[in-house]
Amino acid sequence: MLEINNVTKIYGEGTARVVALDRVSLKVEDGDFIAIMGPSGSGKSTFLNIIGGLDRLTSGEVMLDGHRIDNLGENELVDIRRGKIAYVFQQYHLLPSLTAMENVLLPLIFCGNGADEQKVKTILARVGLGKRAEHKPSQLSGGEQQRVAIARALVSGPSLILADEPTGNMDQKTGNEILELFKELNKEGRSILMVTHSADIAKQAKHIITLQDGQIISKAALQLVR
Amino acid sequence: MKLYQIVAKDVMRRKRRVLYAALGVVIGTMTVVGILTMAFAGQARIYKQLEQYGPNLTVIPAINNLDMKLGNLSMGTLTVGDNYIPQSQVPAIRQIADSNIREVMKIDDQGDIATIAPQLYENTKVNGVSVVVVGVDPEPERLVKSWWNVGKGNYIDGPDDVLVGSMTAELLKLNVGDTVMLNNSPLKIAGILDETGSSDDYQIFAPLASVQKAFDKDGMVSSLDIRALCNSCPVETIADSINKNVPGVRAVAVKQIAKSEMGLVDKMSNLMLALGGITLAVGLFGVVNTMMSSVHERIKDIGIMRAVGASRNQIIKVFIYEALVIGVLGGIVGYLLGTALAYAIGPLVFEGTTISFVPQYFPLALGVSIVVAVAATIYPAIRASQIRVADSFRSV
Ligand SMILES: Nc1ncnc2c1ncn2[C@@H]1O[C@H](COP(=O)(O)OP(=O)(O)O)[C@@H](O)[C@H]1O
Ligand SMILES: [Mg+2]
Repeated sequence: MLEINNVTKIYGEGTARVVALDRVSLKVEDGDFIAIMGPSGSGKSTFLNIIGGLDRLTSGEVMLDGHRIDNLGENELVDIRRGKIAYVFQQYHLLPSLTAMENVLLPLIFCGNGADEQKVKTILARVGLGKRAEHKPSQLSGGEQQRVAIARALVSGPSLILADEPTGNMDQKTGNEILELFKELNKEGRSILMVTHSADIAKQAKHIITLQDGQIISKAALQLVR
Repeated sequence: MKLYQIVAKDVMRRKRRVLYAALGVVIGTMTVVGILTMAFAGQARIYKQLEQYGPNLTVIPAINNLDMKLGNLSMGTLTVGDNYIPQSQVPAIRQIADSNIREVMKIDDQGDIATIAPQLYENTKVNGVSVVVVGVDPEPERLVKSWWNVGKGNYIDGPDDVLVGSMTAELLKLNVGDTVMLNNSPLKIAGILDETGSSDDYQIFAPLASVQKAFDKDGMVSSLDIRALCNSCPVETIADSINKNVPGVRAVAVKQIAKSEMGLVDKMSNLMLALGGITLAVGLFGVVNTMMSSVHERIKDIGIMRAVGASRNQIIKVFIYEALVIGVLGGIVGYLLGTALAYAIGPLVFEGTTISFVPQYFPLALGVSIVVAVAATIYPAIRASQIRVADSFRSV
């Protein structure tokens, strides 16, 4: 479903020049679950940002379902964010003034398809927050906030979920619970790209790739392990 | 749940910030409303005076510049001197005035309609002080000077009665019953006028015939005040007609004189409005500034919204909704404070004018402050909507 060909990303110029991604290529099949590992600063976040159109690449191409998306205009990118690709971040990135329910409603409101509160309730229940719908982010634990963020990612029915260290701020137990959620989503057929520093978590994906200095230094299939 | 509801929640959460942003709008709106309210009161006062003198005409000798005042309105220069209007011309003038009014009002009655008050101005000395004595026809004079109020004593009743203006009475220490000598004719003070704020305060009024006799001006008057019947009476037409048909006199509609005063007030209002406009423009910069920082503060939120599917236009909409809240808030508070400002300093600017609030300025204040708030928001909002999502997360 996703094909990344020779993607290079260079930040800055002259002495401030940083090659964040260096000719990276990767194929993601429908229903894949790829864990991305690598030391800090190796280009993992940059990689996800470019795939999802949150940042622009310097050269190379990104194909989604057979169409180039790296050179799309802003409005077409908006369409992709409204249905095909969703994000989950390490810092949750919820709007602090809104309740869990409202945060999850947000994509539907922007989409203009009518704010279906029933649908949101079902999704919140599904991520285990049925009783927390009216809570604000500040009233929720880290794990709960991440569940809200996952519910928000789910509400628009994406086929690809990009998760940048979703368990990075959690203890092991909570992290594992979140991982279980991702595994369920993957079983439904959604493709998942997840950055993680934890080998235990990465092990449970279908593939692991490792980045270093902007290059993929290893790709491993884990089907046998599972 | 709609987009504006989300904005409303956000505004509630950031109350202080929003109030701060509204402050600039409030200051601008307050200034404009304050100035307009004051100008309105100043104009209202002039209009009231116009109303009072509206149906009036003044007839003076054609060559002379007479400096005289009617109420507060300056009416040109009068040199008390050699030129007079023969009283024999009064019937012709009356005929012109009455026929014009009859036509407009569709009156058939052939009796007198306009009130004609002749005046004869003479300089004289009373108790060694120079004063102006005005010979008047008591009945019509009273009708023309509708604002006169006899404070002490009575109005002129007999040929030997005089009426003294309040300042003259005070300066010369004159009282009801005192005798004054007008060019060797002894007359008795029948009454003293309340202060009028006009030149009447400095004059002495005596029956026309007595003044004519005392100063040897039989059959002469200095001016005529004509009061038409109605506000809609064609005073300009009457004036034109008198000027054309009666030789040696110049008739002026008081309205015309008042209009030049109106022009002055208008100029002053325009000046103040320009000042208000400048304040508003400066305020606009302040608002742009607070809006810039308000938008900047929310770059991360903008990134979040865009990551979950907001288009650039929707982001701009979010900020415009917020600007509407600030604009409405600024409009209400600005109107109230501006009105209060007018009440506080209006009487100092337009001396003695009583200020009253002007409800029509409320929608104006709302409109101005909404436009200012939205205008100040659009640019930073457009800029913020163009930041790359990845960068907006990094910026915090
Ligand atoms: N906006 C930017 N400007 C300049 N350098 C950047 C920017 N974003 C990331 N980088 C650099 O690119 C490299 C990769 O960053 P990142 O993708 O965030 O790494 P990771 O997520 O693996 O820790 C780092 O050296 C980082 O400093
Ligand atoms: Mg990172």
